Amino acid sequence: MSRISIALLLLIAPLVVAQTEWKREIIKFDQFEKLVDQQDDVLYVINFWATWCGPCVKELPDFMAVNEAMKDRKDFKMILVSLDEKSNWQSEVIPFAANNNLNVDIYLLDELRRMNYWIPRVDKKWMGSIPATVFYKNGKKLRFVEKQLHKDALETIIKEVSAL
Amino acid sequence: MAALLALTVWAVEAQGYKPGDVATDFKLKNVDGKTVSLADYKSAKGFIVIFTCNTCPYAVAYEDRIIALDKKYAPLGYPVIAINPNDPGASTADTYALMQKKAKDKQFTFPYLVDEGQKIYPQYGATKTPHVYVLQKDKKNLVVRYIGAIDNNYKDANDVDEKYVEAAVDALLGGKTIAMATTAAIGCSIKVKK
Repeated sequence: MSRISIALLLLIAPLVVAQTEWKREIIKFDQFEKLVDQQDDVLYVINFWATWCGPCVKELPDFMAVNEAMKDRKDFKMILVSLDEKSNWQSEVIPFAANNNLNVDIYLLDELRRMNYWIPRVDKKWMGSIPATVFYKNGKKLRFVEKQLHKDALETIIKEVSAL
Repeated sequence: MAALLALTVWAVEAQGYKPGDVATDFKLKNVDGKTVSLADYKSAKGFIVIFTCNTCPYAVAYEDRIIALDKKYAPLGYPVIAINPNDPGASTADTYALMQKKAKDKQFTFPYLVDEGQKIYPQYGATKTPHVYVLQKDKKNLVVRYIGAIDNNYKDANDVDEKYVEAAVDALLGGKTIAMATTAAIGCSIKVKK
């Protein structure tokens, strides 16, 4: 390999690494509803979180470990929905995802003023504390959990809802 | 059977109050070292009880609006009573000393109480900060009339078009029915003792 092409590789390599195959998008609630209303026999694990939320950040490594173990399963998909401020998307959420190897699709739900509309539509009992995790399959909500989940608890719920 | 019954009772209690329920009074330590009880407020018509804390970004964003609520509604008979439900061991930013500092720095016009032992917030059913309960005195009872958020924009007070708490208290003062008795909003989960 010529020196030039090596130099070129070194130049390009960090750019390639910085690219992610995972989705990073800002969405509205109607887009969220479409996202979880898929008739594809896939179990969707949706985690509502924010970079400023201590318990959310604490549970993410457990979520990533479970996702890593399930990554070859075609009937499983984990998605993070950030409730950070839209203005912090590029400055905080995206770098946080890269630094913490969040190898899942991440959306920011940009619905600041409509919380009282969309929160009860995710779950009637939800008053809005995060972290919160919702499990959907074929457009049907199977479980809603409004607390920090450890790896074992998350795995147990996945097993339970998969058996439904 | 007894165990089942106990479990059922616990499950009901764990849900907390709904509008129309009778709320418990409490005796909690204020940042000035004195103990505060709702019964101390003989002439109050009711209360704006707010579970809040020192550092949750939502709680911080609402500090000035909580002070404004107290300034507007305490003279009308609905003072603000703030309660910090976080365990200071689980949330080191919420120690008594830091609560005193917060109250002093922000010049809180209302009590800022410690939910010592975390006994009060579960009875109310608070799950996050900030979490508001508007109570109305009805003879000897404190009746829950509103549960939820302060308004519909935590980030920008100038871009609010629904002031939930003000609407609720205004309705109570005017003898009208509260249009929205519960609302949901994102907040920080209450930090529980480990």
